[in-house]
Amino acid sequence: MFARRTRRSAASAAFMAFCTASTVLAMVVLIAILGSLVYNGIGGVNLDVFTKDTPATGSVGGLRNAIVGSILLCAWAMAGAVAVGVLAGTWLSEYAGNSAYGSLVRLLNDVLLSAPSILVGLFVYQIAVKPMHGFSGFAGALALAILAVPVVTRTTEDVLKLQSRQLRESGAALGTPVWVTIRKILWQAAGGGIITGILLAFARISGETAPLLFTALNNQFFELNMTKPMASLPAVIFNFALSAYDDWRRLAWVGSLLIAFAVLAINILVRTLSREKRRS
Amino acid sequence: MTAKVSSPAPDPTAERFECFTESLPAKDIKLETKELDFLYGKSKVLFGVSLPFARNAVTALIGPSGCGKSTLLRCLNRIYALYPGQKAQGQILLDGKNILERGIDLGMLRARIGMVFQQPTPFPMSIYDNVAFGVRLYESLSKPDLDARVEESLRRAALWDEVKDKLKLSGLGLSGGQQQRLCVARGVAVRPEVLLLDEPASALDPVSTAKLEETIVELKRDLTIVIVTHNLQQAARISDHAAFMYLGHLIEFARTDRLFDNPRAARTESYITGRFG
Repeated sequence: MFARRTRRSAASAAFMAFCTASTVLAMVVLIAILGSLVYNGIGGVNLDVFTKDTPATGSVGGLRNAIVGSILLCAWAMAGAVAVGVLAGTWLSEYAGNSAYGSLVRLLNDVLLSAPSILVGLFVYQIAVKPMHGFSGFAGALALAILAVPVVTRTTEDVLKLQSRQLRESGAALGTPVWVTIRKILWQAAGGGIITGILLAFARISGETAPLLFTALNNQFFELNMTKPMASLPAVIFNFALSAYDDWRRLAWVGSLLIAFAVLAINILVRTLSREKRRS
Repeated sequence: MTAKVSSPAPDPTAERFECFTESLPAKDIKLETKELDFLYGKSKVLFGVSLPFARNAVTALIGPSGCGKSTLLRCLNRIYALYPGQKAQGQILLDGKNILERGIDLGMLRARIGMVFQQPTPFPMSIYDNVAFGVRLYESLSKPDLDARVEESLRRAALWDEVKDKLKLSGLGLSGGQQQRLCVARGVAVRPEVLLLDEPASALDPVSTAKLEETIVELKRDLTIVIVTHNLQQAARISDHAAFMYLGHLIEFARTDRLFDNPRAARTESYITGRFG
């Protein structure tokens, strides 16, 4: 009997050690990435980064066009993705039920959720870049939106389904029309979760490079016109990091640092929001 | 009241269910089911239930789990219609008009027949907006009128004194008992004629339960109340009439004191004396 107890304790200790080691391994990798970003990037962060455009090699420059481009691309993409994703998720949760069409949409959404982003880039190149005879910010935003929609759809459906049956019935019991119950009660109740999904989708697309290379391309000048090719941080990093010039490579590090910290900031925001949700 | 013994439900396959009901004077009846059957898909769970609900009185539906008392309650405001495959057959008369007919406006029906659920379900908004929510669906009141309606409703639900200084705070921040009375206030704010309560106190502590019961007794001055409860003492305390159901059949309906003191059906007696259920 004691032998079995000893064996179990040993197994437990071994398992604990294994879990701890795995955690440490994951943390070491994460810290190494963040550490090297900070180590290589922080030295290059100065006002020029935010006020000057990407330079020709040898001259002074910054990342202004890429930062603004990334913000514009992501903003347009998220505007479209939130509208489509939240409504699609709502439809799946509240109206589709177990219908064959609903199940098909759900399946396709899951497929899209894991589609390689480079395929999405090529697809948008075929439908939006080639016919228009030119790369554009809108094409880039479209590609990013296609990547963001399934994330928003899925989380919206999931958090709406978490809302209790009695909450829906309480709405109906007052004679509330279904769509008013959805807008005024369910979206409010699931708001924190829906926002979490939106921010996660934003975090995902903010670092995407492949779909932008085929769509928004890049632009060494400052550009606000979404019908023109547009610079973005990931595309600039892609170009500069592989270049032979030290000043370009330094800017690539700075750009990477900016994206990493933007995503980190968003994640902290998400966690804060979801914690508040749980408290209420 | 005159006593009458009606014949058992005519279902040749089932065991026979005795049925003792008292009839009420027609002028006292606000709501009434007649030969009501209910189906979840193909399975029948209510069998020919004929039951009157008296005006300005509390009617308690009692019986063991699965006897169909909640199902019956859910027929009365047709909340079951949210789910395809659920169907009621027979008649439910509200002021003599059959609400099971096609073409009934379910929104208006539910404005006349309010409902409070087992779990408190405050909406994710302020206490004030919770109460005003239903009112805003049907009436466009001026701000002072709406304020007055909210106060009146919270007073009727015996919640006003506890929340009058925090109307702008979330309804989710209240205790369970307060949340349930908030749901009552939300229900009565649209001035329904009937209020349905589905085990409203089963998630509450004894003190909150006592307050809720007082509220219910107060409310019957203006309302017809139907309450489903597992708690026989609660039924005895607050109801005027009681209906005992078993396996989807109405077994006995009588004045509460008579049903508890002198049950006529053997099944009623064994249930209220605790021999089963």
